[in-house]
Amino acid sequence: MHGRVKVKTSAEQAETKRKEREKKLKLYQVASAAAASKRANGEFDKEALEITQNILEQNPDIASLWNFRREILLFWEKDRQEEVQEVLSLELPFLESCLRVNPKSYGAWHHRAWVLVHAKHTDWAKELRLCGAFLQKDERNFHCWDHRRFVVQHAGIPDTDELEYTSQLISTNFSNYSAWHYRSCLLPRIYPDPEQKGRVAEDQLLKEYELAQNAFFTDPSDQSAWFYHRWLLGRAEIEDAITCVYVSKPLQTVLVSFSKPVNLRNEEDEAVLFVDSRPFPSKWQVPDKRSTFSHVWVCKLPPGLLEGETLQHCLHVSWKDGRLKKECLLYPGSKESWCQDSATDQKLFSLELSIEKSSVLRAEMDSCRQLLDLEPENKWCLLTCILLSRVLDPLGHASKTLTWFKKLLAVDPLRTGYYKDLRSKYQVEDGLLCMEYAETRVLHLARKELTSLFHLDLMVLVTHLDVSGNCLHVLPLAMSCLQCLQVLHADDNEIEDIEGVRNLPVLQDVCLKNNRLAHLSQLQPLTSCCRLVSVELGGNLVENLPDFYTHLHELLTHTRPV
Amino acid sequence: MGAPLNDVHIKTDAPSTLFLDKHADYIASYSAKKDDYEYCMTEYLRMSGVYWGITAMDLTGSLTRMDRESILEFMRHCQHDCGGIGASQGHDPHLLYTLSAVQILTLFDNLNTIDLEKVVEYIRSLQQKDGSFAGDKWGEVDTRFSFCAVATLALLGRLDAIRMEEAVTFVLSCMNFDGGFGCRPGSESHAGQVYCCVGFLTIVGRLHLVNADLLGWWLCERQLPSGGLNGRPEKLPDVCYSWWVLASLRMLGRLCWIDSKRLRTFILACQDEETGGFADRPGDVVGAVDCIRSKTTIQYKNCFPYLYIYSYLSKPCLQVDLFHTLFGLAGLSLLGETQLKPVNPVLCLPEETIQRLGLHLQLLN
Ligand SMILES: [Zn+2]
Repeated sequence: MHGRVKVKTSAEQAETKRKEREKKLKLYQVASAAAASKRANGEFDKEALEITQNILEQNPDIASLWNFRREILLFWEKDRQEEVQEVLSLELPFLESCLRVNPKSYGAWHHRAWVLVHAKHTDWAKELRLCGAFLQKDERNFHCWDHRRFVVQHAGIPDTDELEYTSQLISTNFSNYSAWHYRSCLLPRIYPDPEQKGRVAEDQLLKEYELAQNAFFTDPSDQSAWFYHRWLLGRAEIEDAITCVYVSKPLQTVLVSFSKPVNLRNEEDEAVLFVDSRPFPSKWQVPDKRSTFSHVWVCKLPPGLLEGETLQHCLHVSWKDGRLKKECLLYPGSKESWCQDSATDQKLFSLELSIEKSSVLRAEMDSCRQLLDLEPENKWCLLTCILLSRVLDPLGHASKTLTWFKKLLAVDPLRTGYYKDLRSKYQVEDGLLCMEYAETRVLHLARKELTSLFHLDLMVLVTHLDVSGNCLHVLPLAMSCLQCLQVLHADDNEIEDIEGVRNLPVLQDVCLKNNRLAHLSQLQPLTSCCRLVSVELGGNLVENLPDFYTHLHELLTHTRPV
Repeated sequence: MGAPLNDVHIKTDAPSTLFLDKHADYIASYSAKKDDYEYCMTEYLRMSGVYWGITAMDLTGSLTRMDRESILEFMRHCQHDCGGIGASQGHDPHLLYTLSAVQILTLFDNLNTIDLEKVVEYIRSLQQKDGSFAGDKWGEVDTRFSFCAVATLALLGRLDAIRMEEAVTFVLSCMNFDGGFGCRPGSESHAGQVYCCVGFLTIVGRLHLVNADLLGWWLCERQLPSGGLNGRPEKLPDVCYSWWVLASLRMLGRLCWIDSKRLRTFILACQDEETGGFADRPGDVVGAVDCIRSKTTIQYKNCFPYLYIYSYLSKPCLQVDLFHTLFGLAGLSLLGETQLKPVNPVLCLPEETIQRLGLHLQLLN
């Protein structure tokens, strides 16, 4: 055991040490100067190799000296081929001794790779054995793991052999995170899922579930297997899609939202808007007026384009050269219209995990609950149960999930912030699902212990949002997605930043009672909401400022704050 | 059963307040002792050493204590004909030191000390076909160098100089099963590389390509009961890893996913109350030691991305250095320490410097 408590040394000891250091330093400086002068004078000789070797043995990270050695060898290559090969073969044992002193030297590992590709008769099999030996000493040395992958490539070792190697390592020590990582790279190459790129075919996947279960039933607190298990449960790539097209006649705008953030200003990602089958030269804007990539884009229509009470209009958005499209019809007499994909149909919230056959996931759930019975305080198991219940039946497991969260917060307080945010995310998802079932545009998220807002890009059509009685600190910038929002209840939170209400074009009523707004400047985002009718700010420190209401009226000349 | 928990124990009498002046004294005295063993043995990374020193000094509000003129004079001798900058006179150019140099000159508001057009040309010349960057002409490829390249170019306002789409594609090809990033495609996730890749994506405005919830989870799992953060599962906590993780979480808008109070306690405990400066970790180590405590006379700290030779002592002890002093202070600053200037999590320079440049880096919120 290395205790590294500061040791107070006697004056005598210190003096001996100082002298030793001085001697050492002298030697180093003399050698460095000699190497430098040789290099400057173009003396690319054997002595230069010796001098640099002596220094590098002590400190293998002086990159310039490795460079000098390579320069010498390249210089000799013209007419001293044999000698070059001889030096290259001696370089390997020399490097090995450097790496034994410091197995994590970037410079030494890189030079070793360089030597191996420059030598004529590299014994790759031997090199692979060396990797094995180094990894036996330190199974987590990532330099050596990277070197191994480099050797494997040159030696033409099949992936299946390497998979077998990781199996061996894992069977001796389940905690070898590096080996689990390597598996995650190898499996999709050896057993690719024909349908999902980067995923593993089902037969093999089942075997991997078993391996991970073996590991965490043996040692339930071992994080490696749990991280790996989380990966097996997998997340499917979100596919490109237009998820919503919305048009508002009074605002003269069209809004489009996408399944992931896009940059419509990028030529390849251009989206074309057709109004009544005619392409409209659209200038797309992001709602927050800042981001380059955004889920939501808005386009202003010129006045008169949607005129005519008796006419029906068709708004059609075409993206990715027409491969993806969506349209909505604005019927005669209506002010607005939209076409939106349903969150349920898209399995939007199970996308976190793959759409594996639910029987597989159910079996995983059973195992985890078994383990939870044995280890009721195991945080990894609790979290996995929560994840699985989210995919299987979020609303059905809602109360159980909350109990598990409570337990998680108690057993792993260091990650309180993470668990609370994750719980908030699930609460928002449930709220969105309920709203969808009820076919309304009113989103109820009051008193859900929310610490953050998630999925704002799915709230583009929401007109009423209630997030009062939570633990929010900010109304985030991403709230600018809520372009239809008219009424916002956010009282009884800890809000000190309301940047998110900036540029909400139809926001009328804002309730921010009992928050942490202390300065007028924090209210500035409200000035951009041009339809604002009422703002409630009671119970905020800002209210106590002298002449607060006069100042507020000045700030919001067009509103009547209550 | 698996490996025993690797962590440290923080003694009750460990430092628990910030010794602001002591740290400034430590940095000032470090650069004054030019004949010191440690000083001489670290010449091969001097440019980064200067960057750590002056940034740390500026965060404490005492930049005037550094000899600006002699630093600028030193720097005039480190640029090579190719445009790249070496660690010191007589050392070869490399992206690591090119970034450090540009960070120093930005901080001093003295960019014209070197030939900037040539710096841009140098960086451009190191971009590979697949979009990656080599650290120098010898071709070592690593996501660290992708970060160095765009960080330097961002400070110079020249992000247009490289093939950006390919650069992004390469970095994304290093993303792993846990949402983290490694050195090259297939390399294991590592907090230092995560910092580089998340920083890279922030600088080029593509942070949305990270799976922030998954990576954030992996990052917050780096916090150990002592409060310190490690760089990979099962490793010991370290002040510098605390910075790489913390800054990444800040960029991802998930700083609150770790326990800041406990981390603060850990960082403060790494101070040396006598000499000033921070060590990699406080005294007592509980589990197996990851670092090489070699039996030879030289000792190493294997910290990302440098191998730091630090001592010639027969007994291991709490040993401070410039590198951990900067990242200790920067970490405390991100945690909201009011005695320090706010630090920018992407470029590890004072926020005021980034603002002076008018550089806008969009973090997640
Ligand atoms: Zn460190």
